[in-house]
Amino acid sequence: MSSATSTVAATTLRPRATTAADSARVRWGRRFQHGGWFVAPFFVLYGLFVLLPVVRGLYLSFTDANISGDHTDFVGLDNYREALKDDLVWNSLWHSVQFTLYVVPCIVVVALLMALIAHHTVHFKWLWRLCFFAPFLLPSAVIGNLWWWLFQPTNGMVNHVLGLTTPWLTQKSTALLAVVVATLWWTVGFSFLLFLAALQNIPQHLYEAAELDGANAFRRMLHITVPNLRNITGLVIALQILASLQVFDQAVVMYQFGPGPEESTRTFVQYTLEQGFTSYRVGYASAISFVLFLIIAAVALGRMWLLRSREEGISR
Amino acid sequence: MTTPSPTLRKPRSTWTPAQIALTVVALALSVIWMAPLAWALSTSLKTPAESVASPHWIPKDFTLDSWRKVFEAGNIPNWFVNSLVVSVCVTFIVLLVASLAGYGFARTEFRGKSVLMALTMAGLMFSPAILGVPLFTTVQSLGMVDTYWGMILPQCAPAAMVYILYKFFQSLPRELEEAAFIDGAGRWRIFFTLVLPLSKPSLSAVGIFTFIASWNNFLWPYMVTNNPDLMTMPNGIATVQNAFGIVWPQLMAGGLIAGLPLIVVFVFFQSQIVRGVAHTGLAGQ
Amino acid sequence: MGRPDLNRRNVLAALGGLTVAGSLGFAALGTGADALASSARTRVRYWNLFQGGDGTNQVAMVDAFRKEHPDIAVKDSTLTWGGPYYTKLAMAAAGNRAPDLAVMHQGRVPGFAPGRLLDPWDIGLLAKYGVREADFNPVLWKRGIVGGKLYALPLDIHVQLCFYRKDVCKKAGLLDADGRLPAAGSTDEWFALLKAAKKQLKNGQQTLGLHANDQNFAWWFFVAFYQQLGGGYFNDDQTDVTFDTDKATEVLEFFRKHVTDGYVTVGEADGEAFLAGSPFTWEGNWSVPYFNGEKLDFGAQPLPPVFGRPATHAESHSFILPHQSGRGGAADEGAYRLAAYMVTHATTWAVGGHVPAYLPTFKDPAYLKLSPQNEYSRPAMEHPATEPHIWFAGSTGVLAQRVGPVVASSNLGSAKPAAAARRMKSVLEQLLAMKNPMDGRTAAQELKGAGA
Repeated sequence: MSSATSTVAATTLRPRATTAADSARVRWGRRFQHGGWFVAPFFVLYGLFVLLPVVRGLYLSFTDANISGDHTDFVGLDNYREALKDDLVWNSLWHSVQFTLYVVPCIVVVALLMALIAHHTVHFKWLWRLCFFAPFLLPSAVIGNLWWWLFQPTNGMVNHVLGLTTPWLTQKSTALLAVVVATLWWTVGFSFLLFLAALQNIPQHLYEAAELDGANAFRRMLHITVPNLRNITGLVIALQILASLQVFDQAVVMYQFGPGPEESTRTFVQYTLEQGFTSYRVGYASAISFVLFLIIAAVALGRMWLLRSREEGISR
Repeated sequence: MTTPSPTLRKPRSTWTPAQIALTVVALALSVIWMAPLAWALSTSLKTPAESVASPHWIPKDFTLDSWRKVFEAGNIPNWFVNSLVVSVCVTFIVLLVASLAGYGFARTEFRGKSVLMALTMAGLMFSPAILGVPLFTTVQSLGMVDTYWGMILPQCAPAAMVYILYKFFQSLPRELEEAAFIDGAGRWRIFFTLVLPLSKPSLSAVGIFTFIASWNNFLWPYMVTNNPDLMTMPNGIATVQNAFGIVWPQLMAGGLIAGLPLIVVFVFFQSQIVRGVAHTGLAGQ
Repeated sequence: MGRPDLNRRNVLAALGGLTVAGSLGFAALGTGADALASSARTRVRYWNLFQGGDGTNQVAMVDAFRKEHPDIAVKDSTLTWGGPYYTKLAMAAAGNRAPDLAVMHQGRVPGFAPGRLLDPWDIGLLAKYGVREADFNPVLWKRGIVGGKLYALPLDIHVQLCFYRKDVCKKAGLLDADGRLPAAGSTDEWFALLKAAKKQLKNGQQTLGLHANDQNFAWWFFVAFYQQLGGGYFNDDQTDVTFDTDKATEVLEFFRKHVTDGYVTVGEADGEAFLAGSPFTWEGNWSVPYFNGEKLDFGAQPLPPVFGRPATHAESHSFILPHQSGRGGAADEGAYRLAAYMVTHATTWAVGGHVPAYLPTFKDPAYLKLSPQNEYSRPAMEHPATEPHIWFAGSTGVLAQRVGPVVASSNLGSAKPAAAARRMKSVLEQLLAMKNPMDGRTAAQELKGAGA
């Protein structure tokens, strides 16, 4: 829509400029030779708060630095060697992966379902949008406190509604599940909006044409909706995987910054922060941070590679 | 607010059986999704004793005590203002810095541009969750622990927002700027008087999304603030405790206060926010 | 809390910050809201981790101090108990933004880098405000000294107790002539007590609150009974682990038997169950005011000496000075006055169940009359079982975080007691070999360094 308005503006302006356009193009390019000033403010911040910490983290990961910043010695690969042998690294990594495996499919399915419903209903669209999206606007700390309360065994809402007495938050078998439920409720709205926007972008005439050809609702869904949602589904899955692997907030608040029953909800980010800020081992924490970074980078690069190979497939 | 639906053009009633069924399902889902918030509201209106008595939806002793206590005694008004200061500043700086950088990447040439661009793209993979510990030591060495600066600045270098605006500026037709250039406008004037006004939808999308993210940001303020006076809303709620123990009605009232502003904003600016979230998200494609 | 003026000023100050940010280019953002809200009075920032009944008492004590010292504005902040509190405290001290005064479990002091994250107390200045070594239990006072300097000023000693309901125990014929529960001298005696009491209960009611799945309580109880068996952790040089897995297994089997024999319902809210008629619960002494408030007829004594020699888990809340590079001046003096006041006016604290470290309070007839404090305070002070005095120990410290879950998993049956005991030993070996991140030395090296 924005590009449409600007195109209109451009066409109305163009006649006046045509004559000088060619020479202007040359000068235009020259004038902008030193446009680096536009990028400079961003790069100052980016350098200080992204690039520098990455480099610093890499350096720290080869030292035994502590939180107070003195007595730092170079220890070579010791931290990485220790990380490989540290059960809790693998244990907490597994919790984050497990969480991701549970939560991503749930979010994709529920968000898609919500989007289809909200898209195809004629009345009260704004209401569905509000209801499904509102939880996403709450801070994670509120989510943690809220579900801590909702999952209380004797006076919580969940057991009250379901007629159960399950101690959700104090037994190993349900502790992570509780975090999954809270997260689904909280974040599904974001993916829902992405699906909804994608649905609205599908040209209506495709459906009308199919209807004229006598395709029923199910076939229209199968042959028009599903293929058109392929890209957005890939995006939602990728975004959710990246976000879920970094889960921290809601889990720690629900378990009061502890590791959960029998250490069943300690996530990877939580473990790095525990090492850094509870055990004061900044060097070791930096080293294990890079383990997660490698995984995240692999997921991100994997998605880029997938997209590229698909695009090449299409262009061929 | 609803997008004009093509079915409206047809002269038949919109309440077909399929529509009724769909609406019922939508209603059921909405009820499920709103139930936790309703429970929180109901809890916040109960007395502490009633909240832990056998569970029920409608408060018997309806009271606004918890809300009053939260406003009067706690740190919450203080944290609320902190959140506001931080989120407003972050949004302002991000809008300025990211639009400049996006424009710089999209429209200007300079030595090293491709390297900087690649570095920015790599930044999409970093987050405070991964970088937390080294980021903290960096901010610590800058002497910014427990300051507003320390909370604000590290949130102001989002590669994703630069990328979104870069994509947008690329989609603008060059001719317009060239025309202004012929008329004698400098590049900064072109940017501020021509390009920015054209970019309002994208800028508001980025702004809204940045504001939401900053208002709700827990992890970074949690790491960098220890002084309870300086905490933002999410951080304070999670780490500072009432000396009198867990009082569920107050906890819920505090949570609703933290969440309400954005929900109210959402009710009024629904279509812009929906478009904004969709836009920022879709740009990642 | 009743200090709306302070809050309103903060809000105004922060709003001011917002205006400044908008107009003057964020000049004010380099400081915190509190600095903007500076006032003429001396401002003492005091952090603690007291919640529930402890929180109420602590607020009352601070309020009393405020009344006597109107020139000092105390800004007290209660942070989430346990790990999160120490995380915030360490980060604040490391970032040179520490409060003027804070509470710390004494066991945590060795790991908190005395001299780096903590500043020592000035004994002379303490004496000026009426705090002298002679007025304290010598063992407790000495534990706060590292490298010849006092870092932890003890407020109390607090212990794990066996609470019992007199009504149920009486019906079961368990009480002696004084109406007290005789201490069980063996595991058989103890289980006989439980069996007798259980007969008085409704179906489904639990006999003992054991906090079986709580990693903190599990570890505290372990420390108590392991000491009853005379078990140790490290040799004197802190070079070797002397942890006795047989003794540990015996303790873990003892815990597990409560669950397998049906005396403990895992996941029960133990305190509430006790109020609802369950005869026994093992809780910290901080539960005394909670149960007192419910007008319950109950007693409390140290954990039963089932392995022969009495010992119950004990820790101590103490006051510390978090490191500030420019410590001194009015705020520092205010911190001394506040700490001295709290330590010497600990009657409220003692009513809250904690055993006062300040001997004049401990020997005060008014204190000796308190019930059930009079039943447990003396034996608790005489037979404390503490965690080893080493950098990774102390309440919710690294040691507790690592072995607590192991004990809990044995309690719940996820791990066999013998396997859990071996696991505990391997954790201890790992930790002993590990360098204290604060000085880059292992426990043994630290000990040698301190001796040299």
